[in-house]
Amino acid sequence: MTGVLPTADGPATRRTVRRVLRGDRLRAGAAAAVLVAATAVGLLTAPLLGAIVDAVVAGGPREGVVLLALAIGGVALLHGAATALGQAQLVAAGEAALARLREAFVATALRLPLARVETAGSGDLTARAAHDIAMVQEVVRRSLPAFLRAVLTIVLTLVGLLVLDWRFALAALLAVPIQLLAARSFVRRAVPLYARQRVATGELQQQLLDTVGGARTVVAHGLQDHHTDLVDRRSGRAVELTVRGIVLVNGLFGRLNTAEFVGLAAVLATGYLLVRDGTATIGSATAAALYFHALFAPVNVALGLLDEAQTAAAGLARLAGVVGSGDAEADAGDDTTARPADPRGDRPDGPPRITATGLGHAYRPGHPVLVDVDLDVPPGGRVAVVGASGAGKTTLGRLVAGVQPPTAGRVLVGTDAPRTGESVALLTQEVHVFAGPLADDLRLARPAATDAEIEAAIEAVGAAGWVAALPDAAATVVGEGGHALTAAQAQQLALARLLLAAPPAAVLDEATAEAGSAAAGVLRAATAAALAGRTALVIAHRLDQAAAADHVVVLDGGRVLEAGAHLDLLTRGGPYAELWGAWSATAAPAR
Amino acid sequence: MPDPDGQEVAVGEIATPVRPTADGRGVLRAALRSRRAALAGSSVLACLHQTGEALVPVLIGVVVDRAVDGGSPAELAGWLAVLAADFVLLSGSFRWGSRLGQRTAELVAHDLRGALVRKVLDPGGGARNGLLSGEVSSIAVQDARRVGALHMMLPLAVAAVAAIAVSAVALLWSSVVLGALVLLGTPPLLWATRRMARPLEAGSAAEQQDAALASAVATDLVRGLRVLRGIGAEDAAVARYAVASRRSLGAAVRAGRAGALLDGGVQAATGLFIALVAGVGGWLALSGSVSIGGLIAAVGLAQFLLGPLTMVAFVNAGIAQARASAERIAAVLARPAEVDTPEGDGPLPDAHRGRRLELRAVATAHLPALDLAVGPGEIVGLVAEPSAAQDLVAVLGRELDPRHGELRLDGVPAGRLPVTDFRREVLVERHDGVLFRGPVRENVAAGRARPTAPAMAAAAADEVVDALPDGADSDVGERGQALSGGQRQRVALARALAADAPVLVLHEPTTAVDSVTEARIAGGVRGLRADRTTLLVTSSPTLLAATDRVVLVLADGTTAHGRHAELLERHAAYRAVVSR
Repeated sequence: MTGVLPTADGPATRRTVRRVLRGDRLRAGAAAAVLVAATAVGLLTAPLLGAIVDAVVAGGPREGVVLLALAIGGVALLHGAATALGQAQLVAAGEAALARLREAFVATALRLPLARVETAGSGDLTARAAHDIAMVQEVVRRSLPAFLRAVLTIVLTLVGLLVLDWRFALAALLAVPIQLLAARSFVRRAVPLYARQRVATGELQQQLLDTVGGARTVVAHGLQDHHTDLVDRRSGRAVELTVRGIVLVNGLFGRLNTAEFVGLAAVLATGYLLVRDGTATIGSATAAALYFHALFAPVNVALGLLDEAQTAAAGLARLAGVVGSGDAEADAGDDTTARPADPRGDRPDGPPRITATGLGHAYRPGHPVLVDVDLDVPPGGRVAVVGASGAGKTTLGRLVAGVQPPTAGRVLVGTDAPRTGESVALLTQEVHVFAGPLADDLRLARPAATDAEIEAAIEAVGAAGWVAALPDAAATVVGEGGHALTAAQAQQLALARLLLAAPPAAVLDEATAEAGSAAAGVLRAATAAALAGRTALVIAHRLDQAAAADHVVVLDGGRVLEAGAHLDLLTRGGPYAELWGAWSATAAPAR
Repeated sequence: MPDPDGQEVAVGEIATPVRPTADGRGVLRAALRSRRAALAGSSVLACLHQTGEALVPVLIGVVVDRAVDGGSPAELAGWLAVLAADFVLLSGSFRWGSRLGQRTAELVAHDLRGALVRKVLDPGGGARNGLLSGEVSSIAVQDARRVGALHMMLPLAVAAVAAIAVSAVALLWSSVVLGALVLLGTPPLLWATRRMARPLEAGSAAEQQDAALASAVATDLVRGLRVLRGIGAEDAAVARYAVASRRSLGAAVRAGRAGALLDGGVQAATGLFIALVAGVGGWLALSGSVSIGGLIAAVGLAQFLLGPLTMVAFVNAGIAQARASAERIAAVLARPAEVDTPEGDGPLPDAHRGRRLELRAVATAHLPALDLAVGPGEIVGLVAEPSAAQDLVAVLGRELDPRHGELRLDGVPAGRLPVTDFRREVLVERHDGVLFRGPVRENVAAGRARPTAPAMAAAAADEVVDALPDGADSDVGERGQALSGGQRQRVALARALAADAPVLVLHEPTTAVDSVTEARIAGGVRGLRADRTTLLVTSSPTLLAATDRVVLVLADGTTAHGRHAELLERHAAYRAVVSR
């Protein structure tokens, strides 16, 4: 289950960033301009203070000092207003871009080819959805504005020093080599350390999901101590690596302190020399020193955020990898992403015929799980596939539903290759109830469904009784964290979704297996209602599903062992008749 | 106090559990109190650091005054050496103080995480009701960290206040008037920034909640990916996520705007203060009551004060976040238990192989009053409506107190037994029991040192292991999703059987298993549980055929007893429920 979901390279990541910024470029540009203006205005404070010093040295006049002080006050008001305005614009642009990024990610993730998600393990995708989005958001929200302001301040302060005297700027630059060396060695060590820290945090999150999600099982088996210990250890590991990262950051700041001292001493010494030569006033020497002193904080901020920038870039690359892969598939005309306008509703053609000829499949070359299978489901017909575990039933279902392209032979639904969820629906035994109101869960299948249609679907699958008995009927919040449904109820919901989605054909892969026999009658009726008027392939553990089909195919070791109508097969006395015997013996009164 | 020099982080030292407290304030207080020595240490170091920082502009003023303004090279060198010493002080104290503070912050978050997990796994249950597990783990990671961050922020706040004090002293030294100005001017400035932080505080909670919800929706949809794709509902799901995302966007922009206003406001207020100090300082310098150096130090310090004052605003916002986070943590910790959890040792007689499980008129919302007794050596089948079966399983698992009636174990009412003791005797393997990440082997052993082979064989999980690439060492994945439904069920059943509990309750254990294998399992369970007490809550005829007797509970409250074959023969309702 190694992750094979793509991670974007530099250019691809930049493309994604440009894409999500589209539409907010003007706003982002305006924000940048306002912030530049704000910073420039703010930098007027130091020379104005220098001018007060010069005025004092010159011995007056008092009105000049007062005017200068008033000017500093005006600068403060302007600076504050421009900062607020620029930052608000930046937040609006940044948040809109973030929203576009996460929406593009979810949109692409939900449309990735299923076979690919399954090879990569859905955990990788879930982790990107849950963690990388949050991390990139955190950095863009908290760090990006600070970083931008710091860089602006640094650049404009250097300009200010140049204006005072180029030699001040030169002295200040003495600090730069030390800063660059410190930053380089920091990034070199921090990047791998943070990668390990992220892994450890991911493990902690996974462990928490595992433990919290399985809390009832943990408690039932008395595994509290074991799981508390697991969380403790993973949390401890994450804490340990985080603290190591802190030590590294503190080392960086120690070196930056050295750079500060070197630069400040150089600027002061330059001032001493220039004042002695008479080329600079004490006022401008003061302004230069104050300028340089005012650089301490922004330099620390900018360099201290380097690691966050790196971390966010890595998360962004993982998100862009998924977003970009969607683009590639759309470009290649992959029909899982580029679907025609909603074909549902009126379907004049009626249900299609499903045919499979010479169908074969091997997940690993040389290890076929399905060999030379022929299948014919007439329009509106129902064929059941039976066989022991490992007979290849599920693979057959996946091929017919179009989830996986076959390695040999071909499948046709009507005249085309199957399109999952569109020309042919696939219902598996994996029941997921979506968190939220029950009606919203059903509306995923048909967003425009009226309340009456929702009710009709609930009624058709025999769920009207229990839905009405829920605390808020169809508005009751179900799914994780909501009202718990039984397995049978969850399956009725799945069938109601199928009914609402109204695909012309459907593959049911043991879709009613989880519920237990008490609900078998209800589910049998629900299945019949959901499959009415559709061509269907039913993969069955329960032989009653086979008995209800028009035609039965018995698979064994990936090959068709036997095929025919239920009663014909029983009279033939072959393997199917034997299976039926074993099955009905337990159910028959004569034991 | 932990040694800040220590490279190795001994997390195991954590021994101060955060007591479950009813409100967020209590959580904050406990989080600070549990490590107050470290808090004091990092506060002292942070103060030293700020003092060093505050001395920098003072020393700049001195250098300009004594050296630049016509001093000798030796004077310049001497004062630069003093400046160097100050840098050693500020750099060193920052390094150790920050390490101590941040390390403590992480450790406190770790403590809180432990407290949350203990609450979630509390025998009384109830901690998770109404919460997504993603939300709980987000609380245990993000919110715990935000509360822990107080240990990093409070020292910064203390130091900021100290820096303001040091600046004031330095100013008083050169001029009483200037010093008084800073001393009297700072409190209103602090008050103003606090007031300005209010809208941020209000917005922060909303933003965090909505952002967390959008993330939970994304995770839920991605989890249900296969279901969505199977019916072509991905477009609808994308549209639904967009709604959640847009709501989160609205809240984030509102909070961001409040933050921008706060930043701008702090900047303007501080700038005005600097202007006042510079103006008054310049006036005094002209009349000769303040030296040029004093004036430079005054304006330098007024500018320097921007740092500590912004820090105060930053800490304010951090405290607002920590408070919101503490509320969320407290909300989980304070959740009431689902069942009564009696204390003390129950008077349970000595253990024998099996125990007698008895239900006396037990009733719940979906279960009519049920009388049932299962003794050692017996395998009893129970057939009921799914919702009634679910309630019964919850009652037997002590996750639900019955409305009426009583549950007894060897004659002792369950209400008099500690819940964990009861569960040690009565193991309930629910239909929706989950597997945990890790190898099949570990899942089946479930932390017990018992042989697993017989249980694996009885549950037909040996076939599962044979089909897996790494056999019993194969990872089952998150929630066992690397296995098929039938494989998962067999591994979960093997786990339940391997526990060898005196009383075992199995809830629909074989629904995803094909009929041939199911028959084998029925025989296996019989063999393994020969002298124990076993209750099978199922409607599978294959399993029911292997029981000693069956109890049928109908929705109207009537019950029927008998062997499976008898009931099939004489009871039409039974036939309807279990016939295929």
